[in-house]
Amino acid sequence: MGRALVREWPPAWRPRGSERAWIAAFLIPYVAVFVAFMAYPVAFGLWMGRSPALYAELVRDPKFLPTVLNTLIYTGVGVNVTMFGAILLSGYFMDRSRWIKALLVLFMLPWALPAIPAFLAWHWMLVGHWGFMNSLLDKVFGIEGPIWFNDYWLALGSNIVATIWKWMPFWTLIFLAGRMAIPQDIYDAADVDGAVGVSRFAYVTFPLLGNLYLICTLLSTLWLVGDFTTVFFVSGGAPARTTEVLATYGTHLAFDSGDPPLGSAAMLSILPLLIPLAILLIRRLRSREVQL
Amino acid sequence: MKRIGKIALGLVLAIWTLMPVYNMFLIALDDDAAEYSGHIWPSDWYWESFRVIWRQDYWYLEHFWHQFGNSCFMGFMTMGLTVAIGSMASFALDRMRMRHGWALGNAAMLTYALPSSFLAIPFVHIMHRYGLSDSLWSVIAAQTMFAAPYAILIFQHYGRLIPLELDDAARVDGASPGQMYWHIYVPLMAPALVAVGTYALLLAWNEYLYQFLLLSSTDSMTVAVALDQFFDSDEAPWNYMMSTAIVYSLPPIATYYALRRYMVAGLTMGGVKG
Amino acid sequence: MKNVSRRAMVAGSIGVALARPYVARAAGVTATVWQVQGFVPEEDAAFRKTVDAYEKLSGNRIDLSIMPFQALNQKAIAAIHSGEVPDLIFHDAPTTILPQNAWDDRLEDVSDVVEPQRTKLSATALLNASFYNSRTKQRAFYLVPIKQACAPFHMWGDLVRKAGFDLKDAPKTWNAYWDFFKPVQTALRKQGMRKLYALGLQITTVGPNDGNGLFAHFLIANGGQGIVTQDGKLHTGDPAIREAAIRSVEFMTKCYTDGFVPPEALSWNDADDNNAYHEKLFVMNFDGTLSPELAMIKNHKAYYEDMVVMGLPNRNDGSPMPAQLGAGGGFIPKGAKNIAVAKEFMTYFMRPEVMNENLKNGLGRWVPSIPSIVKEDPWWLDTATDPHRSTYVHEAVLGPTVAQYNGFNPAWGKVAAEQVWGQAHADVIKHGMTASAAIDKAFGRVEEIFSKVVFG
Repeated sequence: MGRALVREWPPAWRPRGSERAWIAAFLIPYVAVFVAFMAYPVAFGLWMGRSPALYAELVRDPKFLPTVLNTLIYTGVGVNVTMFGAILLSGYFMDRSRWIKALLVLFMLPWALPAIPAFLAWHWMLVGHWGFMNSLLDKVFGIEGPIWFNDYWLALGSNIVATIWKWMPFWTLIFLAGRMAIPQDIYDAADVDGAVGVSRFAYVTFPLLGNLYLICTLLSTLWLVGDFTTVFFVSGGAPARTTEVLATYGTHLAFDSGDPPLGSAAMLSILPLLIPLAILLIRRLRSREVQL
Repeated sequence: MKRIGKIALGLVLAIWTLMPVYNMFLIALDDDAAEYSGHIWPSDWYWESFRVIWRQDYWYLEHFWHQFGNSCFMGFMTMGLTVAIGSMASFALDRMRMRHGWALGNAAMLTYALPSSFLAIPFVHIMHRYGLSDSLWSVIAAQTMFAAPYAILIFQHYGRLIPLELDDAARVDGASPGQMYWHIYVPLMAPALVAVGTYALLLAWNEYLYQFLLLSSTDSMTVAVALDQFFDSDEAPWNYMMSTAIVYSLPPIATYYALRRYMVAGLTMGGVKG
Repeated sequence: MKNVSRRAMVAGSIGVALARPYVARAAGVTATVWQVQGFVPEEDAAFRKTVDAYEKLSGNRIDLSIMPFQALNQKAIAAIHSGEVPDLIFHDAPTTILPQNAWDDRLEDVSDVVEPQRTKLSATALLNASFYNSRTKQRAFYLVPIKQACAPFHMWGDLVRKAGFDLKDAPKTWNAYWDFFKPVQTALRKQGMRKLYALGLQITTVGPNDGNGLFAHFLIANGGQGIVTQDGKLHTGDPAIREAAIRSVEFMTKCYTDGFVPPEALSWNDADDNNAYHEKLFVMNFDGTLSPELAMIKNHKAYYEDMVVMGLPNRNDGSPMPAQLGAGGGFIPKGAKNIAVAKEFMTYFMRPEVMNENLKNGLGRWVPSIPSIVKEDPWWLDTATDPHRSTYVHEAVLGPTVAQYNGFNPAWGKVAAEQVWGQAHADVIKHGMTASAAIDKAFGRVEEIFSKVVFG
């Protein structure tokens, strides 16, 4: 079995006559959708944001660089905490006892819950001095909580925590699927060598899941960099629009300042960072094919 | 000792997961105004707001069930199209041994270099050009577009579990590629199809920006956009808003829990193989 | 040309394949109209009624879409930039859209609709409706101004009474007027209302309207009204204006740091202050239109007994203070297919009796842009049946008024969208800057934004 998977997939084989037509038929829907709804908008977006003057204007906007920084912090912390938490929790959920299985069902709820209700709930939980969180702190612990969205770090932190809450279940599930594919005999062998607990994770599990971990980190980075919903609903950019990320900032420029090209340029400005990540992702996805 | 640790962690996870959900019910069940009073327990179990939604008895909710229908149409269409388009593409790329097929798969993944929100502004303009502005189809197209690369990725990995010899045998028996797709590939891929479909549904339901920018008339509005009315207004009954949000959450949650048992099997994304 | 037709063909074929079947167009002329959703359901009903009446009269059809405020803003901007536009957009607060797009020559000149009514319209309405076009190098009317609104003071009279104060004693100058409410807070706190605040000062918001409007009024009260003049020129170099801005920032931030403003005001959006006001978390709020009251019109005690609306006191130097008005109405994007119908509909809407009927049906949240209407129809100033409207109409129509700066120079809209003033307040409150340093920084940014807009 192992050997079969090491070979190049799919095996090179030249399709003939009618098969080519079939291939075309199978691919046309995707290619058509791709061209009409991806390639053309991308090209149009690049065209909209083509003028170098737009980027000069962006850099002069005192909100631009802080927004880029926010985006990096939001994504960097959000992704890494999510991923590390998810891979640890996936080990926890490998336990097949009934109540842990039941807990997994519950734990998946944030992923199944649509983002808008979820983030509205987070916003309301933290808003003002009378949100649920502060009421809880007050009633149960007798502590007066902070005004969460008045403070830059607390507001940014709220966005990050909310995003972790929402996405950790999904990645936990992915890692769980990955762990389940690790054959038990590898662990049996590790047990013989005395690798348990942390060392078993560090020397057996993690190396085996390493590539998957990297791929997932890259994917979730690409997904989170452009996240609009969390920031828009949780902090809304408060205080004084200091916690905005590029997605909310660009939308703001496009529609509240009425300058769509500038908004497009703001969003495109992160492309030089994202394209290498996407290429790295593609390489990892391909390299996995010859690696066991 | 280890058991106690596990139980403690379980408790923490349960509280962590449920707190915002609990807060949703707290707001939905209090009558108007009480959310400012610092309750941590619903003081009056006021179910009125759900009754209001059911009867569309508030002016923002006048068309609620129509909008709910639009949301469902958009979500399940995205689900179906993503699975259909993605599985056909990966069948052609992988099972039909197309040369350089990987290049197309890569191009698909490159989609993710440009996060969906970054594409929103040009997308809105182009939908205007296509005459698709204010059409649910434009949103469905956008959602499908962003779900498809991940779908292809998962399908390609899952597809490797199905031996190519099956295809060869079918070919010898004179099956056309269409028959092979329909009678061999689709049934054997079922767990992945279900998992990816659920993923696409949740993606569509999570998304806000495209719906917000593309849909505006009462006829085409989805619940996500309708919720926006509450934020603009000076008169905001937050209990109605939260109960609307709760009702809106039900279809994806129900779908997820109905199809849950396929998820782990279907989402296998390589990493290790035995 | 070839390019265009090919694009149109591709667009058309995809459109045919994917567009949901819509009701087939009627044989007569059908104009597409986008309208902003009202803050009270009656406004939507009033608009529909006006549309119905026009349809009967003209035989034309209006295809009406009603959208929430933000959605309409975004749709309108996307539409204008992509060229796929409706025939008419009817908006409450088009100031984020009109100045820049008039500048870029993306709007239809509607002077032929406005001119016939010119003598009847208020001077402020005329100013709010005209914008500079950088291609034709002149100002023209791009908005048909139907309605206007100002910001009055809203307060809970019952709370003021409970604290042992009488609103009749409220001082007649701006700063002193705000200060009047501070002891109200102190007194109410002594009575056990632990979390009550005096002022709903939207000191920095993440929304586009409230914070900027508030700051503009502080500027006016402190003698800085001329920060932008009708010719579009910026006067931040004028020491009197700089002084006015500094005093405004000082006063507002001091209200906050002295604890008279709810602390979360630093992270409010445009709706939060209204919600908190309705929950009586503070005594007094300065906010546009009568919507805080009208939202509670079904609560008889609140609307008729507890809530009080007051107009503006004098400026700090004792001179009468003008209210800054915003105008709403219809505008036509370039590329509209049925301009004639759109203009005919707006001409119909501009008839005083139609305008009056429409705005009355909308509960008077907006006042007519033709001042004679409120003098001729007693409904507007009737204090017997409505406790708030007359005060509001006095401020918005009968008292001195000025136009918003947005129409003078499109750069002002960007200043507002960037929340430059909110940032200045945050700089003082959070970063310990002095008011004059914060204003230097803010003015620097404003000058930079204005420097990109060159007239003539």
